[in-house]
Amino acid sequence: MEKYSKKVMDHFLKPHNLGELKKADGEGELGNLKCLIGETLLHTNAKLEKIKNIKKNNQIISHDGKYNIVTDIHSRNISEKIIILKNRLGEIKLTTDHLIYGVKIPNEKKYLRSKYKKKLIPAWYHAEDLKKGDLALYSIYSEIKDSTELSVDTTKKRWDYNSNPIPQKIKIDGDFLRLVGYYLAEGYYQDKVTKTNVIFSFNINEINLAEDIVNISKKIFGITPIIRKNPKKNTLLVYINNVFVVRLFKKLFEVGAKNKDIPELFMALPPEKQKHLIFGLWMGDGYFNVKIPRGGYSTISEELIHKIKILLLRQGIIPSIYTEEEKIDKNKQKHQKCYRIHVGGKESTTKLAKILKINLKNNKPEAINSWITNSFLYTPITGKKTEYFSGKVYNLEVDKAHSYNTTAFTVHNCGDVMKIYIKVKKDPKTKKEIITDIKFKTLGCAAAIATSSMITDLAKGKTLEEALKITRADVAKELGGLPPVKMHCSNLSADALHLAIKNYLEKNKEGDLMKVDEHTKLGKIIKLKGMEKILEKYNVPCLSCPMAKLEIDSLEIGEVCDNYGIPKKELILEINKKLKERDKIIKAKNK
Amino acid sequence: MKKIYLDYAATTPVDKEVLKEMEPFFSKEYANAASLHKMGEIAKDAIENSRENILKKANGKDHKLIFTSGGTESNNFALKGLAFANKEKKHIITTKIEHDCVLNSSKFLEKNGYRVTYLPVDKEGFINLETLEKEITKDTLLVSIIHGNNEIGTIQDLKEISKIVHEKKSLLHTDACQSFIKAPIDLKEEIDLMTINAHKIYGPKGVGGLLVKEGIRLEPLLHGGGHEFGIRSGTSNVPGIVGFGKSVDLIKEEDILHMEKLRDQLIKGLSDIEESWVNGPLGKKRLCNNINVTFRYAEGESILLLLDYKGIEVSTGSACSSNTLEPSHVLRAIGLRQEDTHGSIRLSLGKETTKEDISYTIDSIKEVVEQLRKMSPLKK
Repeated sequence: MEKYSKKVMDHFLKPHNLGELKKADGEGELGNLKCLIGETLLHTNAKLEKIKNIKKNNQIISHDGKYNIVTDIHSRNISEKIIILKNRLGEIKLTTDHLIYGVKIPNEKKYLRSKYKKKLIPAWYHAEDLKKGDLALYSIYSEIKDSTELSVDTTKKRWDYNSNPIPQKIKIDGDFLRLVGYYLAEGYYQDKVTKTNVIFSFNINEINLAEDIVNISKKIFGITPIIRKNPKKNTLLVYINNVFVVRLFKKLFEVGAKNKDIPELFMALPPEKQKHLIFGLWMGDGYFNVKIPRGGYSTISEELIHKIKILLLRQGIIPSIYTEEEKIDKNKQKHQKCYRIHVGGKESTTKLAKILKINLKNNKPEAINSWITNSFLYTPITGKKTEYFSGKVYNLEVDKAHSYNTTAFTVHNCGDVMKIYIKVKKDPKTKKEIITDIKFKTLGCAAAIATSSMITDLAKGKTLEEALKITRADVAKELGGLPPVKMHCSNLSADALHLAIKNYLEKNKEGDLMKVDEHTKLGKIIKLKGMEKILEKYNVPCLSCPMAKLEIDSLEIGEVCDNYGIPKKELILEINKKLKERDKIIKAKNK
Repeated sequence: MKKIYLDYAATTPVDKEVLKEMEPFFSKEYANAASLHKMGEIAKDAIENSRENILKKANGKDHKLIFTSGGTESNNFALKGLAFANKEKKHIITTKIEHDCVLNSSKFLEKNGYRVTYLPVDKEGFINLETLEKEITKDTLLVSIIHGNNEIGTIQDLKEISKIVHEKKSLLHTDACQSFIKAPIDLKEEIDLMTINAHKIYGPKGVGGLLVKEGIRLEPLLHGGGHEFGIRSGTSNVPGIVGFGKSVDLIKEEDILHMEKLRDQLIKGLSDIEESWVNGPLGKKRLCNNINVTFRYAEGESILLLLDYKGIEVSTGSACSSNTLEPSHVLRAIGLRQEDTHGSIRLSLGKETTKEDISYTIDSIKEVVEQLRKMSPLKK
């Protein structure tokens, strides 16, 4: 191959401006994308979300067991072979080169921890390199935030005359968590002016549970629920007739059994406290067979099943998840699509039995193929298939951890081969924006590193306009030429610079063209300067509530107004007026 | 600056003893070996002595040795020469990890009406014997399989391969450029045609040989005055052939053991670099002097140039260092993804490599990989 010029070698051996800029004004990246299909569900701090709906600044669980911020989203169209991997928690569909956290098991035999004494070293493996029997590592959400109290909105409305007030602060203790568990499993609410109640529905012989609810409600809300037996239907219903309790449960746990969810507030509680929640849940929709022994849980909420999965993993209990498709049984009864958790194995069943206060003697020795070490679930890959896929695929960039959890696997985010960071300042005299600092990181051959280094030299001190005019040919020329084969593949730094500038320009026009309508998310509005005051003026309620943080990104302003009787039109008009004023100020500044 | 040459698989220096043997044949005994006068006789004798010595070393009692210009010519000759002389059979089997000269000769034959099967290899670079057996048909003229692989050092089991090939009444050719003298081959029992050359064993460049079992017909590729049994014309490269004859005596058993020891020292020394691995097998099934390692998040050409800067000379399978920007077909064949082939380097040892060289190399590679990984936006 042709030799490099002296200048190329100089820049390669001693690159200029190598590194990252922590608070860059613009970032330009070029890379190779590895992706997941759009339907893949991820754990965000609010709820499960399909990767195709993930937005920048969403928070998702990474391999460090914490929530990290999504800093970028990539998508592209492919028509190629993809890989489907399965484990006890579910499956994942991804491109063959996407990285998964795991351990490769050397022999083809079934892997048993009890027999294998060698140290296992987890690493990132390309999906196509993992086979059935290798171990997948799944990071367990490990944040612990002990919230001790919950604020209740006790504002009385016109039609609330029938309900007695309940305490403004509710203690998040074992009793309350058990009640939450019962509710998530067996509860629902009615929210009509004539009928406002939270209802728990049990089997007629579960009177002990009904009585537990009565006691808890008395203790916490100061309200005595009513128990109604219906021998015909074999049911036992417990009613808490109180509008405030209804509002509390509505706000906390979404609407309808299909969307039932456990909010982040409860997910981050210390595992010791969460035992009460698990108890309540299990008494409702779970079962435990002492003879086998085996525990199980079933629900039609996909959201809920994966949250319970996390709760169990936090206890050191290893669940398996199954999906049952919608079906019509022999009696022509329609069954909705439902999700099941199974808990088997000596260690897991022993732990679960203890939480459920069930006496279990389980001395059977067993072979272990899944276990938890250092906040990771190690579990074998149970299936691998390939499939032809044509359509859009997605990947994310995640701050700090550079990884994220799907519902069953921990995967790496995408990788750049070249990244350029810029700092931009406005020249007070000329009013032009100037690149005051620039840094790069590159993985590649000598030419790739040298061109990156050269572009930083060329762009530093230039105005954005000038920098945008720098071409690949300029870079090559400044380096005293590049070998012909390297002219394209290794000379992409100009492209990365242009992307960084574009990124800067996009970031800085934010706000000036925004217009709010009733579908605009509350979270988006609240981030803009000066908006909080207006929202306060109209008594938008979520602002001070600790729950608000969970909802604010997903609630539409119109919805909030409708729910709380706030004059929607006026509020939106005022917000837009303020935005226009802001826009004028920004434009004036720019001039 | 210290210079450590670790590219002996590309070529070796000419040994002083070899040079000494060759020297008279440049300007003192310069006659054409085909000449009938006394000086011609001396040159002819020198060639025949050389031939005899090499055949003895290779245990080639039933073989002819045809001197050629090197490995590439020998491989071309084996495939094309055999094919053109035996037109009744039209199928050839080879592997995906051959040297380019075998692969491109095969492609040339494909264009000329031959069917060629390229056998896949496993992760360590070994062919599957059952697959080989299945692929051989009545129409299979030749099976050509590289003995010691030049990139990843895999040594194929020629004993088992030859059993299968001969049972099925086909012929076996092996490219032994990297393994000749360095790894045992039972030429007499197992091999019909074998390619060897001088410049990988401290001999001069520009000379090689093809060992051919008696009775096998080859069509000449070079037509002319009828040198080398009438099938490889061209004035004999007397000094080269003399040098070749001497070079086969230079690598001794203890040299092989020495290189194996250093090879394993190097492999061990690099093993604590994270996200890196050795390509090819370990132990006796690997060429005594070959190491091939992949480092993720560092590109091979960059590693090579930075090592060069520290005085260490190695080679890489990275696409970035080739003219075509194609990654090594051998690394692809053992299942490396394109991006991982980028981070691969080959180090090959010589008998003069020392323990100190290896320690310095290990330290330097660690430094260089670390330096490049710091530059990489992928490695966080």
